[in-house]
Amino acid sequence: MGIKNVKPDLASNRLVFDIRRDTGLMDDFHQDMDAVFARYGLTDAEVEAWKELNIQALGDLGVHPYFLPQISRIFKGGAYNHNNSEAAQLYAKTMVEQG
Amino acid sequence: MAELVANIALSHAPGLTGWLDQAPKDEADRLVAGFEEIGRRFRATKPDLIIGLANDHCLNMPVDGVHDFCVGTAPRWQGPADWFSDWLNVPPYKVSGHAEASAIIRDRLQGAGFDATDSQDLLFDDNWSVPLLYLTPDYDVALVPIHMNCIVPPLISPEKCYAAGQLLAKVIREDLPDGLRVAIMGTGGLSHDPGGPKYFEVDEEFDRWFLSLLEAGDSQTMLREATIERMGAAGDGGTTELLSWLIPMGAADGVAATTVCYEPSVALRCGMGAVHWQMAA
Repeated sequence: MGIKNVKPDLASNRLVFDIRRDTGLMDDFHQDMDAVFARYGLTDAEVEAWKELNIQALGDLGVHPYFLPQISRIFKGGAYNHNNSEAAQLYAKTMVEQG
Repeated sequence: MAELVANIALSHAPGLTGWLDQAPKDEADRLVAGFEEIGRRFRATKPDLIIGLANDHCLNMPVDGVHDFCVGTAPRWQGPADWFSDWLNVPPYKVSGHAEASAIIRDRLQGAGFDATDSQDLLFDDNWSVPLLYLTPDYDVALVPIHMNCIVPPLISPEKCYAAGQLLAKVIREDLPDGLRVAIMGTGGLSHDPGGPKYFEVDEEFDRWFLSLLEAGDSQTMLREATIERMGAAGDGGTTELLSWLIPMGAADGVAATTVCYEPSVALRCGMGAVHWQMAA
């Protein structure tokens, strides 16, 4: 965990990079997550962490920390992202309370 | 010969535009007043061009393909990128670039040995969308956006950032078009930890220490003590955005900064501040 432990070539890092830049990919993701995971070549461990919404596990696998709150927003939305918002609380659930 | 007329640094946390009403009212009022004040001071210098320095947030440079600097060379920019619109809660905007100035800056950075690339196709997020709203609400000042890698190791050193600021001041004086009134804006920080365990915390002690070094114009202590590690300890995921503040500090090169505002805003998940360096008329 932390920026020193990022795995730059991890498939999930490429996925998060692309998905924020491409609304079509975001639509694909929400329609068929498994197809997008397969297209990007995620490992079983990455897929499991994504499906469990386990932000901490994704960080442990080498996803860049900056992407972790963004992953919570991919699932819960980005609008009005205050500390009690669903996205922030999803992050808090694994990263702070269980971290 | 162009002129450096404004030299500033400020935070760009998205909560300032996205969920400010969640902050205590007195804190929110002080934040708005402070950011409006830095905007007034900025516009009073009547700049034609902003040379901006901000974290790319891995939005344009992928984690496995970062550079220290990416100079935006397009003649026109727009923001925010689609996915960030509702998060930021700012209206879509367009702002002019400056192809000639950006090419000169890129060439001078590369010529001096900096790891600098360029792009005509940069997406903007909070990095420009938040500060521009307060600095140039009419979007009538051209922007050369210089995206930095502030969060993927190995990071550019504070010393190199300071030297880049010194170089930019020289480029403005010697190489940019005659009569151009130029502002340098570093944006990011202060302490925050997106992606880390301190996501809901602010390190006020660190922030006030960092600001005190700017206010003292103490570059020696800053470069000796405000290391990557020290910044990271105040928030591993984001505090190193303060590397962008060392560039206007280098451009000021010994001039003391004035803090316009500072709020350790837990509601915005960021130490929020703005400073400026008074440049000679």
